[in-house]
Amino acid sequence: MLGEALLQRLSATPLFAVALTLTAYLVAMALLKRLGRPPWLPAIVLATALLVGALVLTGMDYTTYQEGARWLTVLLGPATVALGMPLYQLLPRIRQLWRPLAVCLPISATMAIVYALGIAWLMGATPETIASLAAKSVTAPIAMGIAEQIGGNVSLLLGALLVTGVAAIGFVSLAARQMNITDERIIGFALGVNGHALGTVRAFEIGPTAGAFASLGMSLTGTFTALLLPLAWRLVV
Amino acid sequence: MPALNGFLWLLLCWLAGELIVHYTGIPVSSGVIGMLLLCGALAINGGVPESVAAAAQPLIAMLAMLIMPGVTGVFFMIDQLAGQWTAIIISLIIGTLFSVFTTLWLLQRLMRDDHAG
Repeated sequence: MLGEALLQRLSATPLFAVALTLTAYLVAMALLKRLGRPPWLPAIVLATALLVGALVLTGMDYTTYQEGARWLTVLLGPATVALGMPLYQLLPRIRQLWRPLAVCLPISATMAIVYALGIAWLMGATPETIASLAAKSVTAPIAMGIAEQIGGNVSLLLGALLVTGVAAIGFVSLAARQMNITDERIIGFALGVNGHALGTVRAFEIGPTAGAFASLGMSLTGTFTALLLPLAWRLVV
Repeated sequence: MPALNGFLWLLLCWLAGELIVHYTGIPVSSGVIGMLLLCGALAINGGVPESVAAAAQPLIAMLAMLIMPGVTGVFFMIDQLAGQWTAIIISLIIGTLFSVFTTLWLLQRLMRDDHAG
């Protein structure tokens, strides 16, 4: 632990929080490269664990850290807008397969929410927890906006995203084998719709077609859910 | 520096999103509106200008790092959610299992029908 006076001095500007974040991220990246990038350990999980370790070691409390890290998180706004570029680049694929996608996407994206929330509700989760889990299959920057709209807790949502992403990667490969599906377009799309960015990274490891369809599934799920979930929430809750 | 130029375009799309949300009151985040505006603008332009790509690519590449401060929070909520962890984990894992099967089954059927028709 750092001394009280030193910690206060370092926390006076956001730079210490930013430096901690960058360090944890880069160290995690380097470690993963050494480990050969195991699919069950996404970079973000390791990076966050290192960051939590660093906060505990330095004795910096989470609220102070978060204030400093706002310097980074403010970039989530333009980063979400930036997702419009890959979305535009995927438009030709959407035109090619618009009919199956137009049917599959709304059903899949809706059922991803309904299954999880139904189970959570049956098991007695509180309304705030349920609202936090709702956007669990949507890519993080978009999902954070949704959680804010419907009164969920952003940190819990992000934790839920990680669990969902890792689970989706495992289940898609298991289910595809079980159902004899080898079409990379189907596997990729399922990874993107259910496993957001984590699933998409995995899909690019399978191949470029799977990757492109995962990006497509992720973008469409994010857009569909962001446009309709908060509205549906207002009507139901 | 083309990246600055592109970054300004991203910010303008985001600000336009803020204006739309403010005046219409629609429950959508300004980032998502900005994303759709950018996508629309690129479609009208008929391609991605180098400046926009120079700003958008690094931002997308560092998304994982940008959400780290938020993810960190979940580690400090462990006590707060005591008693709900089983419900949270089970609903996420079983929910995802069901939704993965739904997507695969549905898309497989639909693509077959589409090719047949």
